[in-house]
Order: sequence, then C-alpha cells, then structure tokens
Amino acid sequence: MTALRPLLRYQAALLMRSQRWLPPVILYAAFLAIGVQTGQPILDSLGYAAAAVLPVAAWFVRICATNEPPAARSCVGAAAGPARAHLACLLTAFGAAALLGVAATVVVTVLSSPTSTNHQTRLPVLPAGGAGLVAALVCALLGTAVGALTTWPLLRSPGRAVPAMLLGAVLALVVTGSPARAAISDLVTGSQAGTVPAPLLPLLGAGAMAAAAVAVACALTTRRG
Amino acid sequence: MERELLLEGVGRRYGLGRAAPWVLRGVDLTLAPGTLTRVEGANGTGKSTLLRLIAGIDAPTEGRITGRPRTAYVPERFPAALPFTAAGYLIHLGSIHGLSRAEAAGAAVEWLERLGAAEYARTAMSELSKGTSQKVAVAQALLAEPELLVLDEAWSGLDTAARAVLEDAVLQRTAAGGTVVFVDHDPRRLAGAPDATYAVVDGNLRAVTGSSAPQDSYVIVEVEGPSGAEPPAEAARLTVSVEEPVPGKLRLTVPDSHSDTVLRILLTARSPWHVISLGEESAAKGVLTPRPADTEVPS
Repeated sequence: MTALRPLLRYQAALLMRSQRWLPPVILYAAFLAIGVQTGQPILDSLGYAAAAVLPVAAWFVRICATNEPPAARSCVGAAAGPARAHLACLLTAFGAAALLGVAATVVVTVLSSPTSTNHQTRLPVLPAGGAGLVAALVCALLGTAVGALTTWPLLRSPGRAVPAMLLGAVLALVVTGSPARAAISDLVTGSQAGTVPAPLLPLLGAGAMAAAAVAVACALTTRRG
Repeated sequence: MERELLLEGVGRRYGLGRAAPWVLRGVDLTLAPGTLTRVEGANGTGKSTLLRLIAGIDAPTEGRITGRPRTAYVPERFPAALPFTAAGYLIHLGSIHGLSRAEAAGAAVEWLERLGAAEYARTAMSELSKGTSQKVAVAQALLAEPELLVLDEAWSGLDTAARAVLEDAVLQRTAAGGTVVFVDHDPRRLAGAPDATYAVVDGNLRAVTGSSAPQDSYVIVEVEGPSGAEPPAEAARLTVSVEEPVPGKLRLTVPDSHSDTVLRILLTARSPWHVISLGEESAAKGVLTPRPADTEVPS
C-alpha cells in the first residue's frame, strides 16, 4: 500500500500547475473586497469570509477530481488503489480551501474593528479570529463534502454535476441543521450580543459529514468505472 | 511469500440497476508469479474490463479477487494532457509506486533512455507526440519493477525499437518472478512466450491451447562461466534444459522467443558468462544448425 504523501504531492502539483485554481481564488478575493471593509465589526466580517469558503471548497474538489485524464487516473489507481488516490485528491482540495480560509481569516481579523455590531462592546481580537478560523474550517469541510458528492465518481456529466454542486453549496449554507449555517449564525449572534462564540459543535458535525462523504466517494471509485 | 492472484466467480457490469448487461460473468482465473498471460478477444468483448479488474482499477460487481501484489498498468492510449514534464511525471509516479524521489529520478532517466525517449525528459507532456506519450506510460509502469504488470494494448503507438524493449522488459519481469497479463491486437506479439492464453467469449474466459503460439524453434546457447557456477536463476527459468557436456561449459536450450532475454541476462550477470556458440534447433527435426557466435546480441 502506497504512502499517502507521494499521492498528495502529485495531486497538489496537478492542482497548482493546472492553474484552474485561479478563478475560484480570484472570485473569492473579489467577494471579500466587496463585502469586507476596514473597520467593520470583526465577527460579521469573519462570518461573511467563512461562508464564501464553502462554495470555493466544493469548486476545488471539482477541479481536483477532474484534473487527471482517465487513463492517467487508471495508472495511479493501479499503483496506489483508486480509493486511496481519490482520498488524496479530496484531501488536496480540502487543504487548498482551508489554506484560503486561514489566509482570509487572518486578513479580515487584521482589517476589522474588534467590536460588536453596534460598536458598543469591545471584543478580544485573538479569540474572535479563532472563532472565525473555526467557522472557515467548518465551511471548508462542508464544501469538501458537497464537492465530493457532486463530482466523479458519483456524478460524471458536467451538465448535472455543476448545478448539483451549486445547489448543494447554497443548501449547505442555508438549511437549518447545517453545521455551516450554525457556525455562521454563531458568529452573527455573537456579534450582536457582544460575545465571542466557540462554534465547536458545528466543527464536529462538519468533520463527521465530510468524513462520511469522502468515504462514500472513495468507496465508489472502483464501482462506477 | 509468493502468492497467486485469484479471480473467483468474478462478474462485472456497468451502471446500477438490474437491467445493466453483464460484461463479464463467472470468471475464474489464477495468475501465478513468474507467468505471462495473454488475453484475446474481439473488440468490445470485455478484455479491457478484465484487465481493469485484474489491475484493481475496477472492483468486481460479484465474486472476488484476492492476492493482488504491487501493480502497474499501461493503458492503450495515454493522453498527454498533464501539466508536467515527462521526467517530472515519472518522478511523481515512481514515488507513488514506492520509490524514493532519488530512485524515481534515476529510474525515470534510465527507462526513457531504454525506450529511446531520453531527449524528451525535459519536454512538457502536452508537447509530446502520441508515440512518446505512450513511452512515458510504459516507463511509469516499468520503473518500479512491479510484481503485477497489466498491459492493455501497450505496444500500440510505439516505434519498432521501443516495442522490442517492452517485449524484452516483459520477459525479464516474468523471469524475475513477476506476473504479466497483456492484450495486444498483434497475434505475433510475444509469440510462444505466454504460459497461458485466454479468449474472452460471451463474458467468460476460454483457454486457448497451442493454436496461436506454435513453439517451433529453440536456440542452443553454449556458454562458459566461472567454474562451478550455476547459471543465473532468471536465465534458468526461461530455458527448457541445461546440460553440462564438459565441466565449466553449459549448453542451454532456450525457446527462440526468450533467447535475446537469456543472452542479455547471461552477458550482464555479475560475473559475466562467455558465449561460445549459438545455434538454432528446429523442434520438428531436432537438427542443430550452427549460427555464428557473433550474431547480433542486444546490448
């Protein structure tokens, strides 16, 4: 059984060199530039930055899962096992989304005003940034789950996969009970109340959902051809 | 330690639902280490599906496959749409096959050289010709000396020299105890060499006996080696018989198809063997026709 490291290196190199990561990153940066301004309440801005990580993560999964021509995927699949190869692909996409989420959280934390929504209560900067980081990770995990369930090997025709991915990303942000929605509303209500939340329960939920989605996708790699 | 790859009652159909037709059904197959197996069949009969199951790229819908060792696969058409140089891609694949990066880099250069594509090592994959891409696909499979090598029309697109290198590499792999399974449209491919040939007919395997591969000629190789030395095990596996007419001299009877490989093993052994003479023997008549000892030997 091959170690995961060379697979991750291969997938990361594929993603970086394909340059298909550019559109989601540029779109995400533009989204932040429009919605986040210097001096705005920190938790509101962090919630906004975290929410946008979710569709980006799903998009990264789609890029990674469709980056390799099928014949090349077969060569790697024979060497490492198709499930393992796909695991590396999904982990790479998650890693890229998490990295983007961390970078955005740092930037937003530095630029924002450490106060509640009505600017009456001061909030501690580092705990607030930490809460934003957890929310960003929740969204990266859930976005990875959405992406894993709406691309190869589950959905193969782009005509169905892309709308499914977009719909999945929107639903993951708005449906009651979604960890992403819970994490973001924790930030928003915390901002209104002047307290820093710790959205750890959503993190657990998102981790479990992502693990389940990844397990299903990897298990299907050898069955859907 | 040597395990057989076993397919037991293996069936495969694509798509979900009960209406999907079976491509293969009830396939039983044993692939022992050190054997070469050829799979034949008309287009669309499920040869590629069988090879993908053997290589572990697909899972059987029913039945089971056990004992798969370290595996490498060469597809028929290898697309160049990868954002790497040829050498860069091979180093990645070498690491995935379990080599260290330094070993992978060395093996990548070595195999590109053997296949006559050394000058493309630094060329972007997207700029490679179809033939050179196929050489890269062959190199990724061979560079880590896999225990199971699965070749789906791997020869198509290769030039004559590279085809010979791949044939030779296949025989060396089996001589070293590896298992090789291949599909090729050319019936002369590795003629006489396969230990077993199967045809895919109606979703199942039928053993093909003797027909496509008449073993009609042998080569007699007389060699002199270090006194009392045994011939290398890899060479001995490929020979039909070994006699010792005079102490220190050996007379090996080798199927024609394996002779180049045996000679190469003997000549590149740690303590090299001196080839005294080569001769052809027709199995039908048993006549030994002398052939000059300076007959071209692959280097």
